Amino acid sequence: MNDYQSVYLALSAILFGVGVLGVISRKDAIVVFLCIEIMLGAVNLAFVAFARANQSAEGLFMVMCIMAVAGAEAAIGLAIFVLLYRKTGTINIDKFNLLKW
Amino acid sequence: MELLGIVICGGAALACALLVILSKNTVHSALWMVGNCLALGVLFLFLNSQFLAILQVIVYAGAIMMFIIYAIMMLNLRVAAETDFRKSLFTGRFVVLFLFIICLLALGLGLSPTALKGGMGKIAMAQFGEVNLIANYIFVQGIAAFELVSVLLTAAVVGAVFLARKD
Amino acid sequence: MKFDLVWLIPIFPLVGVLINGLLGRRIVEKNKSLVHWIACGAVGLSFLVTLLLFVKLLGLPAEERLYDFTWFSWISSGVFHVSVGYLIDPLSMFMCMFVTGVGFLIHVYSIGYMGHDESYSRFFTYLNLFMFSMITLVLADNFLLMFLGWEGVGLCSYLLISFWFTDLANAVAGKKAFVTNRVGDFFFAIGLLVMLTHLGAHGMWSLKFTDVFSHAQLLPPHLVTIVCLLFFLGCTAKSAQIPLYIWLPDAMAGPTPVSALIHAATMVTAGVYFVSRCNVLFTMSPFAMQVVAVVGALTAFFAATIALTQNDIKKVLAYSTVSQLGYMFLGLGVGAYAAGLFHVLTHSFFKALLFLCSGCVIHAMSGEQDMRNMGGLRKKMPVTFITMLIGTFAIAGIPGFSGFFSKDEILWQAYSSPQGSHLLWFIGVLAAVMTAFYMFRLIFMTFFNECRASEEVQHHIHEAPKSMTIPLMVLSVLSIFGGYLGVPEALGGANRVERFLEPVFGLGKDKLLQAAGGNPLIHRVVAETAEHPSFAPEYKLMVFTTCIVLAGIFASYMLYMRKRSVPETIAANNPSFYRLLLNKWYVDELYEKVFINPLRAFSIFLWKGIDVIVIDGLVNSTAAFFMECGEVCKVSESGYVQRYAVSFLVGVFVLIAYFVYVR
Repeated sequence: MNDYQSVYLALSAILFGVGVLGVISRKDAIVVFLCIEIMLGAVNLAFVAFARANQSAEGLFMVMCIMAVAGAEAAIGLAIFVLLYRKTGTINIDKFNLLKW
Repeated sequence: MELLGIVICGGAALACALLVILSKNTVHSALWMVGNCLALGVLFLFLNSQFLAILQVIVYAGAIMMFIIYAIMMLNLRVAAETDFRKSLFTGRFVVLFLFIICLLALGLGLSPTALKGGMGKIAMAQFGEVNLIANYIFVQGIAAFELVSVLLTAAVVGAVFLARKD
Repeated sequence: MKFDLVWLIPIFPLVGVLINGLLGRRIVEKNKSLVHWIACGAVGLSFLVTLLLFVKLLGLPAEERLYDFTWFSWISSGVFHVSVGYLIDPLSMFMCMFVTGVGFLIHVYSIGYMGHDESYSRFFTYLNLFMFSMITLVLADNFLLMFLGWEGVGLCSYLLISFWFTDLANAVAGKKAFVTNRVGDFFFAIGLLVMLTHLGAHGMWSLKFTDVFSHAQLLPPHLVTIVCLLFFLGCTAKSAQIPLYIWLPDAMAGPTPVSALIHAATMVTAGVYFVSRCNVLFTMSPFAMQVVAVVGALTAFFAATIALTQNDIKKVLAYSTVSQLGYMFLGLGVGAYAAGLFHVLTHSFFKALLFLCSGCVIHAMSGEQDMRNMGGLRKKMPVTFITMLIGTFAIAGIPGFSGFFSKDEILWQAYSSPQGSHLLWFIGVLAAVMTAFYMFRLIFMTFFNECRASEEVQHHIHEAPKSMTIPLMVLSVLSIFGGYLGVPEALGGANRVERFLEPVFGLGKDKLLQAAGGNPLIHRVVAETAEHPSFAPEYKLMVFTTCIVLAGIFASYMLYMRKRSVPETIAANNPSFYRLLLNKWYVDELYEKVFINPLRAFSIFLWKGIDVIVIDGLVNSTAAFFMECGEVCKVSESGYVQRYAVSFLVGVFVLIAYFVYVR
């Protein structure tokens, strides 16, 4: 049954990489946020693949937890974006570089 | 049969993900993200995890993505202000190098699928992914974590309301 | 034996300190008299307890008059133990009696003297703190606790000298006293440590007086001499002897009751007390004894010469105190401990009296201290005049007054004792003549002739209030009759003071004989003091001294009553000598040049050279180095989230690589 394990994991890694690429290069905060979701999805895939390989429910439970965290993150993150947009009129994250020397 | 499904759905997920980061329009990005979630959901089905597949579609593709679209509408953003993001994608290419390293790592690990062992009892293959087993796990071993997750969600709701209110 | 009450003696003043020190300001607002009721009451109670114990001690046979009360453990470190304990023996009770007694009288006097001062409660707090420290000093049963009291009185002295600290001169005087005392205390502490380490080498890790003295023979003779000299150096600072006497005249900047209590009657006798307490050690070192005697005699003479020309009434008394302390050390140095302590007692009476009288005068003269602006006060202040005259008679050594007996005893011992010599006696007599001269000069200039003060000051001259005059009367009675406690045998007395103190000093001699081995000098000392010489030479000396003292008084009368232009003529004819005396032999200037200026220069070098360049340079260059590092590193802190994300990712990959490939 482990035939396609490495395919799943490779797919997961590539998706994760695409997400990273998006996170580090897009300037639109919403898109960055979406790329984080892509990364989480990639991780979910890896978890499920391992769960099946090990025939364990832990991985599945972990995926559910990650979904919950993603939901919480969406709520807080989007609220912050709304707030930032109200204050500055933009959500370009390069405009928010106040935490520097 | 499974391999074919994996290739189609995996290819779809990958394509959607790339489109997410390549679209100029934020709304388009969000829509491609929905596609990505759906493709992942199908992949979960191939992995014998029907319950998670359903959750993926309902929670991710349904709830969270709707949430994001709402946010985009509230922010009144149509076309992103950035025009040269392809260039910055290009400059991020060294990350792709790391990506390959990760792939290699993953493949290396994939050769021994039990490299990450689960501690809890094994489940018969036929029953893997069934709701009653997951439920059993959640409400027996994972009850503390489960409750913590509910606290986290409550805190997130309160925080979101507090942050986004008009003052 | 019920001497366990002894801890009450120091506790009462300490309670007074706590109440007046913590709540004093509020008490003054509510009811000013409560402050002095607490302060005087505390000292009065101490005096009563002391009296009680003293009577009890008298009731015991002489050889049982020793009781060591251990209160609680203070330091316990391995083999080294020190406890807070009080030693009750004739010497400590003798000291404690007059410390609390005179202290009480001066507290009462202060009620009137300090009545209008703003810092009323602060003054009484300090006074009580002083009483506590002084009582601790005299009652302590070990060196360390005594040293605590020793330092405590030094601190109180400093606080009280600069009591009116808003005046810079007072603050400077306090600082001078403090620093000078530190010099002495430094040597004192070294002596203590030298003694302790050598005794400890023999397994005698104790600082108790009784332990140390009973094991004194463990110390090699040269070491005893070193320890004694170090101790004596500490005493010269505390008791204002050459070379460290310079602070005492300046200490007159404090309020007059303080000068009376601390700088005349009690604190400055701490050195005398300490040398007497360590009589075992000092007797073992003839050289140290000689040093004590010579320093005492020289100080007596030297200070008396300075007092001849001083015009400030308190300065005269201050130098006279230094001179009288020199007498005491002369007595101790020739082995006449009892005579020295007898002089401590009588001196505390008449010098406290003189200071308090001068306080009344200054009070009446609206703060004027220069005798050239006084005169004719006899009629306006009769009580002060009479009491001060009694004090002057006592200090000058007029037969029948207390000073006569004690001073005569010292001079006789200096003459006759095996450690004494005729030269020491002669110096002592010279000092006695000068004492008579300058004290009567003070009386004549202050109380006789016409008043030289301004009209307005004259108008305010008045007799002091009751709270001030009653202590004066008590002290003058004591100044007359205090001497009869120790009438020498030559005059048909029993010399009670000496008999009373004998157990303390006898102990020393007994131990000494055991320890002395083959030291012939010590055997000679012990042998000769035991046998009694005939009285005839003593009578001769007594008459001689009295005559010469009377001559001194007569000279003073002639110069300051009859031919008042003569002193100025003398001064004008010997300008350099007069100026030498007036400027106190330029000792302050000498110290300034020899010790203070080099030290100051060295300190400035340490400040500008070592501190500013080396230490500050090190600190500043360290800071500068890290600032430069920060300048370089701050480039990485761009504020862009995505750059942080990249560095985070790199870190994650490195960690993963490490765990997969290396582990």
